[in-house]
Amino acid sequence: MIRRAITDLVLVGPAALAIVIFIFLPAIVVILLAFTDYQFGSSTANWIGVDNFTSLFGSKIGRKALTNTLIYAGIVIPASVGLGLLVAIGLHHLTTSLPKASNILRAIYFLPVSATLVAMAVSWQMLLHPSLGLINNWLSILGIAPQQWLSNRDLVLYTLAVIGIWQSVGYNMVLFLAGLAAIPKTLYDAAEVDGVTGGWSRFWVVTWPMLGPITMFVIIVTAANAFRVFESVAAMTKGGPAFASDTIVYAIYREGFVYFKAGYASAITVIFFIALLLLTALQIALVERKVHYR
Amino acid sequence: MKLLKTACKLILSFGIALSAASALAATEIRVHYAIPTIWAETQEKLADAFMAKNPDMKIKIDGPAESYADGVQRLLREAVAGTAPDVAYVGLNRWRILEDRGLTKPLDSFLPKDKLAAGYTPALLSLGSYKDVQHALGTSASNMVLYVNPDLVEKAGGSMDNFPKDFDGIIELAAKIDALGDNIEGIWIGRHDWRFQSLLGSHGGRPLNEDESDITFDSNAGMTAASLYKRFAQEGGMSSMTQNDARQAFPSGTLGMFFESSSLLKRFEEGAAGKFQVTVLGTPVVAKDNVYFPTGGSAILMLTDDETKQKVAWEYISFVTGPEGQKIIVENTGYAPANKIVLDDAKYLGAYYDKNPNAKVAHAQVAAHAGPWYAYPGAEGVAVTDLIAAALVELTEGADVEKTVSDLAETLRLQLKMK
Repeated sequence: MIRRAITDLVLVGPAALAIVIFIFLPAIVVILLAFTDYQFGSSTANWIGVDNFTSLFGSKIGRKALTNTLIYAGIVIPASVGLGLLVAIGLHHLTTSLPKASNILRAIYFLPVSATLVAMAVSWQMLLHPSLGLINNWLSILGIAPQQWLSNRDLVLYTLAVIGIWQSVGYNMVLFLAGLAAIPKTLYDAAEVDGVTGGWSRFWVVTWPMLGPITMFVIIVTAANAFRVFESVAAMTKGGPAFASDTIVYAIYREGFVYFKAGYASAITVIFFIALLLLTALQIALVERKVHYR
Repeated sequence: MKLLKTACKLILSFGIALSAASALAATEIRVHYAIPTIWAETQEKLADAFMAKNPDMKIKIDGPAESYADGVQRLLREAVAGTAPDVAYVGLNRWRILEDRGLTKPLDSFLPKDKLAAGYTPALLSLGSYKDVQHALGTSASNMVLYVNPDLVEKAGGSMDNFPKDFDGIIELAAKIDALGDNIEGIWIGRHDWRFQSLLGSHGGRPLNEDESDITFDSNAGMTAASLYKRFAQEGGMSSMTQNDARQAFPSGTLGMFFESSSLLKRFEEGAAGKFQVTVLGTPVVAKDNVYFPTGGSAILMLTDDETKQKVAWEYISFVTGPEGQKIIVENTGYAPANKIVLDDAKYLGAYYDKNPNAKVAHAQVAAHAGPWYAYPGAEGVAVTDLIAAALVELTEGADVEKTVSDLAETLRLQLKMK
């Protein structure tokens, strides 16, 4: 018995130790730092209690980052899950009629997922350039006034949201495709026998319930990615103009590594972590009730 | 017997060779720099020239940081870990971050008695001193200049010979260029702390008072300087494009006038080659006295505590800030020099300036009006520069100048704990 316990410990020990040293300890340090005014590189720090937290929720810039992130996620999550599903259903049916085209389209939709967003940001920047960019040139051919996609304060967040959708639709599509392929054909036959014939009712009666578990997974992953939006902001707008595209994770980076306010950045990190944890728990609790596992 | 003798000789000569080698073992110092796209080749050339001159000293260049911001981050990290380099090139507006944490070693005891004779003018020394202690020396300098596209100016009915000397004339011309077409812009300036400080300096204003205990850009000079942002947008048709957009638009010939750092001269000339002839003019000087232009670029500073290394470090610092090192830097980067001797003595850069008249305009402005790029003091120092940029955005969108600037000054005073 003891021998067995020792063997188990030897097997579990090294990995557990590594997790404690490299993940748990730094996390504790971050939580402690959140209550100090520590400046990156300085040798001292003062305990300032919850000041960092009050200034996050009390300052205009802090609240702006929070609302921006919520708006961004509010657009990106439904749009990229919905579009992902739509594209997946289309491509799934296309496999029977036009298998080659379906494969090519799959690759095209998946391309943004496999490309590095930072590199793609450069292309987006060129496309969105106010006077040289293709998008404004096309718009002016159509007689629409050119827009300042990345430097108009009222527009920039939505531009970034569209880029966010563009980036995640392909990933969601692949997951939904796998889900669709796993639905047994017999269920559709059975539904037909029971009088479900229209495409729309077939979707509601068979496809949608059967995609439940996949949808839950897609929503959670998309939500986590949307709330963590960073690369597109850092590469294209740096949170500007005038904090119009500042998001929570970019604010963590900005405060910690541009302003060197490590204490404040830690406080945002702690809040962000707790919020994401709660959100995921809530989603699982809500969605789980409606999901039918086989 | 003979064998033994030979063996002895061999051992002896080996020993001598060993000790000779150790006497020759050069003292090595580690050097940090940032922005390899501009500096990589120049740094190699500087190190090679220095080592050729001082065979007993060795320069080891650390892998460069991507930007000055990354560079300072890395230096702070390395200082915490005890692996900081001995000498570092940092952004002229960032060495105070290192000074604030007590990492820089004062250079006063190393500097020669007659600093002016060594080419270090008071203006140039001001770039690296704080409270009368010399923490850093400028190694390369840049000012805000006005880049002009002469083709667009002429199309709009202006002429380069009769180019406006003041901001009013420039705004008028900008409006005319802007009217040339949908995708043609008249003028652009970054909504950014450094550009605002430049306009402020041109009006004789300062962002901070002498002992840095109060914000002073809400003066008359500051209001006038800030109002230019609003006028550029409202009267000159300045758009809200980003810094990167503007840097692409100018060399492609769709932007008429562009207030930007002189350090981009080479890039713009290369980008516009074959399309139009980039022309550089000085930023208009409005006030009679007290005019200065905040200077960007890089400074060099000493981080090592070791005395032998400090000696080598100083030799290196005085070489790169001296005329020979400055000649290499100017010729390779296009930055303005931070040593008066290279500017005055044609034997160093005379031929270079004959070939690059635009560079001469920019460098003359640095020599005449170089001044510190004010860094706001304290923990919130970097953070408030983003607040300034945000206020400038509001001005270009039509906010009231008086109210915006006074509110900004008050916010800064509170955030910087000045009251």
